[in-house]
Amino acid sequence: MPELPVPDQRRRWRLAKAVAVVAGAAVVLAACSSAAPSAAKKKVKHDSGGISSTTTTLAPGATTTTTSGSSHSSSGGSGSSGSGNKSSNSGGSGSSSGPCSSSAPGGVLGGSCDTSSPAMQLTGAGSNSIAPFFSSVFYSYNQSNHNVSVNYNPAGSGTGVADIKANSVDFGDSEVPIATPASGNGGAILQLPVDLGGVAISYNVSGAPNNLQITGAQLAEIYSSTTNLYWDTFFSNGSLPHELIKPVYRSDTSGPGYDLDQYLIDTSLSWASAVSNNPSTSWPSYGKGANSSGQQLNTGVATYISETEGAIGYVEYAYAQEAGFTDAALQNASDSYVSPSSSSIAAAGAEASNLSASNFNIVNGTGSAYPLANFSWTLVYQTQPNTNQGIVLGKLFDWVTTTGQGQAQKLGYSPLPSNAVSLAHSTLLELQTSSGQKIFSS
Amino acid sequence: MSAPAASVTLSGPQLSQRELVRATAERRIGRRRVRSRLATAACAVTVCLSLAPLVSLIAYIIDRGARTLSLGFLVHTPKPIFVPGNGIGNAIVGTLIIVGLAMAMAVPVGLAASLFVMEGPRRLSGTIRFAADVLSGTPSIAIGVFAYAVIVLTIGYSGLAGSFALAVLMLPIMVRADEEAMAAVPAELWEAGLALGTRRGRIVRSVVLRSALPGIVTGNLLAMARAIGETAPLIFTIFGSQFYALRPTAPMSAMPLVIYTDATEPFKSAQATAWGTALVLLVLVVVVSVAARAVAAVMTRKAR
Amino acid sequence: MTTLSAPPAVSSLAVPGVGEALARQRTKRRGRLYALIRWAGAALFVAVFLALLVTLLQQAAPALGHMGLSILWRGWNPQKNELGAGVFIVGTLLTTALALLLAVPVGVGAAAMFAELAPRWIAGPLTAMVEFLAAIPSVVVGLWGLIVLTPLFARDVEPFLKTVPGLDAAFHGEPLGSSILLAGVVLAIMILPTVVALSRVAMTGVALADREAGMALAATRWQVVRKVVIPGAGRGIRAAVTLAMGRAMGEAIAVAFVIGNGSGLPHSLLSPGASLGSAIVSSFSEALPGSLLKSGVVALVLVLLAISVAVNVGGQILMRTRRPAVPPRGPADGSGTPPALPPDPGLVLVEMQP
Repeated sequence: MPELPVPDQRRRWRLAKAVAVVAGAAVVLAACSSAAPSAAKKKVKHDSGGISSTTTTLAPGATTTTTSGSSHSSSGGSGSSGSGNKSSNSGGSGSSSGPCSSSAPGGVLGGSCDTSSPAMQLTGAGSNSIAPFFSSVFYSYNQSNHNVSVNYNPAGSGTGVADIKANSVDFGDSEVPIATPASGNGGAILQLPVDLGGVAISYNVSGAPNNLQITGAQLAEIYSSTTNLYWDTFFSNGSLPHELIKPVYRSDTSGPGYDLDQYLIDTSLSWASAVSNNPSTSWPSYGKGANSSGQQLNTGVATYISETEGAIGYVEYAYAQEAGFTDAALQNASDSYVSPSSSSIAAAGAEASNLSASNFNIVNGTGSAYPLANFSWTLVYQTQPNTNQGIVLGKLFDWVTTTGQGQAQKLGYSPLPSNAVSLAHSTLLELQTSSGQKIFSS
Repeated sequence: MSAPAASVTLSGPQLSQRELVRATAERRIGRRRVRSRLATAACAVTVCLSLAPLVSLIAYIIDRGARTLSLGFLVHTPKPIFVPGNGIGNAIVGTLIIVGLAMAMAVPVGLAASLFVMEGPRRLSGTIRFAADVLSGTPSIAIGVFAYAVIVLTIGYSGLAGSFALAVLMLPIMVRADEEAMAAVPAELWEAGLALGTRRGRIVRSVVLRSALPGIVTGNLLAMARAIGETAPLIFTIFGSQFYALRPTAPMSAMPLVIYTDATEPFKSAQATAWGTALVLLVLVVVVSVAARAVAAVMTRKAR
Repeated sequence: MTTLSAPPAVSSLAVPGVGEALARQRTKRRGRLYALIRWAGAALFVAVFLALLVTLLQQAAPALGHMGLSILWRGWNPQKNELGAGVFIVGTLLTTALALLLAVPVGVGAAAMFAELAPRWIAGPLTAMVEFLAAIPSVVVGLWGLIVLTPLFARDVEPFLKTVPGLDAAFHGEPLGSSILLAGVVLAIMILPTVVALSRVAMTGVALADREAGMALAATRWQVVRKVVIPGAGRGIRAAVTLAMGRAMGEAIAVAFVIGNGSGLPHSLLSPGASLGSAIVSSFSEALPGSLLKSGVVALVLVLLAISVAVNVGGQILMRTRRPAVPPRGPADGSGTPPALPPDPGLVLVEMQP
């Protein structure tokens, strides 16, 4: 039974409470003190008239710089603590007075110039399929530019677009570019391709040949059929077993689903009329036929395929490659059957003519192009109130779209073809200061 | 069961009547005993049924995550794929800070609200109890959206926003559990306190809370355990970070976020990181639970 | 803001001075502080709840205006701007009912074991272990369900259930693994710790005197549990079940991994389905801000809250008509009068029945 406390016990209890309160206060104070080495997030508030002050803290191993950004002073030398830049070829650490400078604040945007940049920490949010690539290239960039660090949040394309429109991050990323003319709270938004990936159609059927040839119309029927379909009878292939075809689709909204939807619209009349020629990131209910099921994320689809006999589904090529799946050879617009690989996906990208944010569809290409491919698009504001941030953004993404593409292949992506690289370059050249002056000269 | 030595001798019909009663009683008691043993066995089966998924889950987590555990894993910051030195040190610290702040916000408010439910006017108490039941059914993703609208849009992505979201998540569970624990306190203790002329507040503090403490601790630990593993509220509020971040007003990392992001990547190393993080999370919950229960036991000075 | 009801008139008290003492209590500041704390806590709680509702309503308004009341029975077809929740409501109700059906008997039985029937040295650690289940992130449970349970169900459990005679109506169709049945099982696993922990707390709160009285009447251990402890803990068990039901209805990520996201109404427990939670988590992250789809997803949240309210109200009505309420043991009615002891139905019901 509980007892009422006796006096000396109560004293002890009070002492314990006091100690706990003091300790808790000390912990809270320590956590809130800015002396701790912490990464500070810069948030540009849209109502602050374009002047922002930045406290930048750097990746472990570098020193701290505080920059008060003013709109258009060419204070390129503020990156004074850029230490040990391996690729620096001029004495100027971050200064715009290097060999590639011109009258513009940021100099020439190009791979041959030094990559040292003003000190900055950037935040970005967006698609989670590009996360491995981004974390890899940002890490490498930081190795040669210790004063630039990037914090990327792979919360999904929708969140990325919402954040960049609300101007609460410095850049966003989306599998599908937003409708042009693109704009948000900070003005016009530029969209540039940074990454090229593909979607594999993987299947798990014992005894099936590798790279089974499938047309778009067949795929459409597999997904939409309301009756049982069997592997051997549907493909008229005696080497396939007599098993039910179990298609699997993404239950969440996804870029791969969008690509496949577009491909089926292009190749199947019944599909096109069922979805009114409108591709969507949500898998249409027309495609949820008999024996089909939906799984969450690439992981869900990949797991389902690997453990279900007779399953067929779509996953990002990086997934199919890592999991060692058997992929189908899809028929493209030239009627050739192409299986997914780094080169066939790159061919799909290279085929795109007049590539731009409003003309981004590279599905169902011709020649040796794999028909299911798409770029990933980064969104930045055209007008950068903080010139240093504009310089860093431009140099960073120029590096990502050129040198950084060397890391693409081992992560399951294809390097950007030259038309995409020049589109990215020309898009970055449009970055301007808040007074309208272009940040990069060429 | 034998009758005490009686000085009365029983004759034929009375003797058989007594035999009849005794035999019936033995049969019935036997039957009740068997039924009791069967029911106890059935309850034991339910215990096994409840433990089986737990054991399976923990075994699976250990199997997939134990290999990545190392001291470096616990203190390093995240690295990209194929780069050595990957770790979740910042996520561990972030989780501790976020959950700690959330508990600091939710426990007092939950206790105060449950006191109101217990003592306030009937109608209002019923409404609050009802609101708590409904709020406990809200998907955590909605609470994340709410925290986004309230905190992130004002002070930006921050650990504080995550703490707020988790506190809102924990609040209804705490209110209900605290109230139930205090309602289970026998009336005699209340009466004793009132008889001594103590104020109601004093009675609650010294008597009711003291005896309801194990139940309150259980309820609060249950809420904390739930909040520690929640992912959806954090996705929209804390933003994540690749570095050590100690300021609650800046973006931070947390373990559930790491699990969610890494488990859904195609690379084996990322998935292994996710499962290792899940294991660390579980160990953290075990440690905190045990510690809290020990403290509660000390505070009530009785072994429950 | 009163801490005590009006004290009885001074003249009616036999002991002089008590009335004044009680009156003095009311004006003391410390007594006010206790009342202040209570009201502040309640006010904060209500403020948070209302703010949540307002925020959700704001974001859901476009979709609600677009669909009106038909959101409750139409289907979900974002391409055609049809954002109805009918299929999801059915899925939520089915999975929640299944989860409760599985978890409540198992949970209450386990709680009885831990509280009454098992020896103390084993009950403590095992109770703690079951509660750790609550800490496992729903992502992990979802992935484990997908990787371990889905093939198990597809290959063994579901075909077995199809062979059970008489259950054909519930279990027909191709066993795909991901189904309403699996979602119900996974939900049951997730809500088990809540049921066990809170039921156990309620059971240990049953007065020792009542249990001893039962034993004195030669009730077996099980009879004590069934007739004294469980009814005595009824209120706490009901609270546990309500919280568990709330968790089951709102669970999103784990369900999304195992439910199979079917399109139409599920025709059996083995067919893939969708619940409100799984639909919300599936559509939310990629939906563009300000779009009708995003508004529609938030509208789904409101529908879930509305269903939660409806189910809770229905449950309370059911409980009220079944038997008269046992008056609470603490002075919950806010008055200063000493509470009456509850009528102790347990003792009466311990009978010498075979």
